[in-house]
Amino acid sequence: MTKLLEISDLTLSFKELFATTDVLHGISLSIAAGERVALVGESGSGKSVTARIILGLLQETKTAHITGDVVFEGKDISGMVRRDRARLRGTEMSMIFQDPTSSLNPTFTIGRQFIEILRRRDGNRAKADCLLRATEMLDEVSIPNPERVLASYAFQLSGGMNQRVMIAMALANQPKLLLADEPGTALDVSVQAQTLDLMRNMVTDHRTAVLFISHNLGVVREFADRVFVIYRGNIVEDGPTAAIFADPRHAYTRALMSAVPRITGAGLPEVPEVSEAFLAPQISHGDVA
Amino acid sequence: MQSPVLRLLMRRLGISLIVLIGVSMLIFSIARVIPGDPARIALGPNATTEQVANLRAEMHLDDSLVVQYGHFVADVARGDLGMSLYTNRPVTLDIAQFLPATLELVLFAGVIMVACGLPLGILAARHKGRWQDNLVRLFTLLTVSAPSFVWAVILMLLFAFYLPLFPIAGRISDIYEIERVTGFLTIDTLLSGNLLAFGNALSHLVLPACALALSGIGQAARLTRANMVETYDRPYIEMAQAYGFFPSRIARMYAFKPSLIPSLTIIGLDFAAMLGNAFLVEAVFAWPGLSRYGVAVILRKDLNAIMGTVLVIALTFLIVNIIVDLLIAFLNPRIRHSTRASL
Repeated sequence: MTKLLEISDLTLSFKELFATTDVLHGISLSIAAGERVALVGESGSGKSVTARIILGLLQETKTAHITGDVVFEGKDISGMVRRDRARLRGTEMSMIFQDPTSSLNPTFTIGRQFIEILRRRDGNRAKADCLLRATEMLDEVSIPNPERVLASYAFQLSGGMNQRVMIAMALANQPKLLLADEPGTALDVSVQAQTLDLMRNMVTDHRTAVLFISHNLGVVREFADRVFVIYRGNIVEDGPTAAIFADPRHAYTRALMSAVPRITGAGLPEVPEVSEAFLAPQISHGDVA
Repeated sequence: MQSPVLRLLMRRLGISLIVLIGVSMLIFSIARVIPGDPARIALGPNATTEQVANLRAEMHLDDSLVVQYGHFVADVARGDLGMSLYTNRPVTLDIAQFLPATLELVLFAGVIMVACGLPLGILAARHKGRWQDNLVRLFTLLTVSAPSFVWAVILMLLFAFYLPLFPIAGRISDIYEIERVTGFLTIDTLLSGNLLAFGNALSHLVLPACALALSGIGQAARLTRANMVETYDRPYIEMAQAYGFFPSRIARMYAFKPSLIPSLTIIGLDFAAMLGNAFLVEAVFAWPGLSRYGVAVILRKDLNAIMGTVLVIALTFLIVNIIVDLLIAFLNPRIRHSTRASL
């Protein structure tokens, strides 16, 4: 099967004046067209920077030193010039962020921002046509009264509503890959669950591949076909979601699983800060059968 | 329901009226408290005591302060600011003659300030930490560290004396006879269809306006840069980057508009402060404006003229502030759509 995205041996380090901080130590990961892949790890493990490298944003930071290949649709993103990388963003791939309300510009209406995003695909698309498409998309994310939402500003809408808007925006240009960086963690749990459900339905309908970044294994289990567990810039375990949850083999994965908070109580289980076992080599469960 | 903008405007007008009354009381009391008999000063040392006493009575100087203030307010309400002892003409006539020159200068300087300051700020913020930023920061530090009249002298020396690109002083060369319509020479020359005269008036305007604008440019650029640097850390900028918009578009649109809102209040104040700075710039460039008139009447203790000038300046200040507030309300949807008054 051809891969939509193939990352091999990706390393990232930040060069400062006197020190170099290594963030990613050669991770490899792949996503097939239409596949939903989760990248799981605690904060600081290198999940978000991976997404920003795929988007080609970190390549523009001078202090970031990146090696390895990031191949998207057969083309190496790292080797591209800035302008070509930017061309892919918002068209072939798009991103959903943690906090929907503060990710929408407070000085432009939702409609205006929709027009801007749709014109990333077709710069001459007529305003009325853009708004029509926006209405369609908002309809799809079950927003009642889309016209009113398009005329509103983000601060006039609820967080859940903004999250739906973000999902609609992210999929409006029919991207092949959606990067979701802890989507909706800023929302309350029930709204988060609703919007995740919605997102899953949307990407299934649109056959969009997703890289889902999260620290919450419970959410990942619901959402992903395949899981990569990342710890301190190394992938420690990967495989089909069912296989990993049925048989977590790596010490870190087990620790992470025991850390999922349960409503039934007993408080938070203890996760050791560092453990020798966490540094054990990667365990792979193979691809989805 | 009333629109929030209309409500804001009404509030602003109300507050401005109170401020104006306060200013008039303040300037009136100061004018009356300072030592020296205005009637004696007006009539000169050769006048008889009787003449002085007559003028004092005519000017209501013998009444109590409250009554005097009452007379003053009643006169102002009728549009009568009294006679200037210096020019021997009604103060309103003097102001009508000199104000347009100053307004023309200040407006022109304001346009230069905004047209140069904001783009410089955007440029610096977009290239934060790189040479463009350092250059802008050096330039703006230089411009804000010296007052306008210093720049007036420097610009005059450089570009009118050593390098005679611009006229050294005045508003327009004597050879042009321009019919006075608005008092704004750049407009009047255009109205008369005399393009040469327009060019001449414009070239006279450049140096004083630049001198007046320079520190404002620095302020506006630094402020815009600071606010934009902060805006660049917001998630919505990262989102714009994630959608692949051109960096220049992100700067001009996504980052600039939210940053302009907090900058605008200060820029408005800077603009109004130019009225004060214009006093010395007008003196340097022999610009026949209200500020020069103001200095002349202050030195001659011409009370009616001083009060008239101060009132007009205060009024201009307040009008500029109201315009800025409305502009902010226009730019900031949070104000436009708020159900509560947020200012």
